[in-house]
Amino acid sequence: MPLLDIKNLTLEIDTPLGWIKALDKINLSIDSSEVRALVGESGSGKSLVVKSIVGALPDRWKVTADRMNWKGRDLLSMSDSQRRAITRSEMSVVLQNPATSLDPSATLQEQIEESISDSQLDRGWFWQRRQQRRLIATQQLHKVGIRDHDVCLASYPHQVAEDISQKFALAMALVSNPKLLIADNPTMGMETTTKIQVLRLLAKLNKTRELSILFVSHDLLAISAMADTMTVLYCGQTVESGKMSQLKRRPLHPYTKALLDSAPSFRRDLPPKAALSSLDGTIPTLQHLPIGCRLGPRCPRAQKECVKMPDVRRIHEHYYACHFPLHRDKT
Amino acid sequence: MLIYLGRRLNLLLITLLILCIASYILAFLFPGDPLTNLSGTPSPSDDQAQQLRLMYALDEGALAGFWQYLKLTLVGEWGLSLSSQNPIFDDICQFLPASIELSLYAMFVSLLVGIPLGIIAGLNHRRISDMGILSVSLVGFSLPVFWLALLLILIFALQWGGLPMSGRVSLLYDIPHQTGFILLDIIMSNVANKQQVLLDALNHLILPTLSLSIVTSSLVIRLTRRSVINVMASDYIKAAFAKGLSRPQVFWRHGMKNALLPIMPQLAMQFTVLLTNAMIVEVIFSWPGIGEWLIQAIYQRDFPAIRGGMLAVSALVVIVTISVDLLIRMIYPLSKKQIHAQV
Repeated sequence: MPLLDIKNLTLEIDTPLGWIKALDKINLSIDSSEVRALVGESGSGKSLVVKSIVGALPDRWKVTADRMNWKGRDLLSMSDSQRRAITRSEMSVVLQNPATSLDPSATLQEQIEESISDSQLDRGWFWQRRQQRRLIATQQLHKVGIRDHDVCLASYPHQVAEDISQKFALAMALVSNPKLLIADNPTMGMETTTKIQVLRLLAKLNKTRELSILFVSHDLLAISAMADTMTVLYCGQTVESGKMSQLKRRPLHPYTKALLDSAPSFRRDLPPKAALSSLDGTIPTLQHLPIGCRLGPRCPRAQKECVKMPDVRRIHEHYYACHFPLHRDKT
Repeated sequence: MLIYLGRRLNLLLITLLILCIASYILAFLFPGDPLTNLSGTPSPSDDQAQQLRLMYALDEGALAGFWQYLKLTLVGEWGLSLSSQNPIFDDICQFLPASIELSLYAMFVSLLVGIPLGIIAGLNHRRISDMGILSVSLVGFSLPVFWLALLLILIFALQWGGLPMSGRVSLLYDIPHQTGFILLDIIMSNVANKQQVLLDALNHLILPTLSLSIVTSSLVIRLTRRSVINVMASDYIKAAFAKGLSRPQVFWRHGMKNALLPIMPQLAMQFTVLLTNAMIVEVIFSWPGIGEWLIQAIYQRDFPAIRGGMLAVSALVVIVTISVDLLIRMIYPLSKKQIHAQV
């Protein structure tokens, strides 16, 4: 049974122009000890997917789904406190912009100790618990690569550097020993060396503690080394998902191909001053979403049929939603 | 912190200095003889005039004159009132506490009412309770304070008759003037039936405090509501929800502090609005405070008193604003980022 299983997740946002589907029938599933990459250019709704999974959305937005199961239990229909219990102990999230997702008026120590649940402390007297919490927090900070833990724990969020607060957010997510880590762009803006460090840590946790990771990023190079499976998002629609290796070798959806091509390559035979390949145009804004397949206006293979949303098709473990997939030309 | 403290004190001193300059210039701008305006002696004889000119150093140029004036102001020689020939400084010391007392109680009441209501409205953004509180606060905000005070007198003092309409305490009781704060004075004095006197003083306080605090509470409600809405929409609140904390936990641990601390200076600014309103209310309720005294002075063209009253009230406002700022600086970590003093 998959750890997290999402089918047809739709998120509607109330705008002055009426209700707009910011996410349109997203499918996503994560098995235990799987690393799934969620990719797509900025504005494709990756962070919205993350926020709807953990329920950190404004009350007035409507989330509907045919299925949104955590270990077989429906997240949307369960009570608030049950859902909180799951997000508290089994699921952790690193939101985008860790610096702004830390409370500016509390020290980092207070914030990380808040994430340590009582069940992680061995039964000591209540005065020993403080020390235990502190110890757990310190160890976790060392794991993510923050060396001077005393300084870090005593500071307020505005006093630490951006990459420290990024690492700190990661430590805060990992400190509760979750089954699933949802990391929304955890390496954004980091130096390459620190980035490798963090990725290595995540890979290690994945191997040793069987941590499943939903890795949200547009850094294809970082992801491709690590992820087992990948889901490609465009403009709030899932366009393709499947095994990483398969997707890389033979993408079926034109968008996936464009995304893979746009990653800078260091091939030997790259001619000097060769143009970087990219799709024309930009991602449409929420107010101007095209009907049907939302890639339509930008798609090199678009035809008349594309004004209807293509059904999700499946070849073994490889799902795609396109009328005219690559490599499978109709006869 | 020390640097910040230095900057703040610097600001305080400079502002007070400017106030002194303004009050000194006023003495020359008011109609009549500057000497009379400064000293408060209505028509000095030649000898007296000579003495006063020496005392105020009027013949040695503006700078020396101002220096002399500053020294006299600092030691409490603020001249005499033209109408009563009392020393102005003593008058102010007697009347200012009454105003401060009234404003403090009104401030206390409006914070007590305004902050919880504002929080409730902010947490229920765009729901019925929010709309209700907001519209009530809009009404309270739009009522002119003098009209409100008269209305309260009409309803509670004249028609119902349960509450007294003027003064601080019934004329039956004679409370010796010690601190100027009526409740403190009563507690410190040895009048018979202390409880009864205290109750009477509280009864006198109700109407002025109410009429003052209605306007301020609605301002406080609006400030708090806006701040709570902003904070609850911020990333760290969402992150706290994502951590799996419950709504009350999120609000008490992360929302409350962040919502209230940044608006503290604005809340403190309400004190100055309050003080202005208090002057009007004092006149209506014949509350023996600085406002009533100042307005009497204006009616009687008592220029030394106007000058002194203005100096005292504005100095009070400046001191209150800056001390609240320092206090916030001490307890709110995010404000430590800014170094420069601002008003």
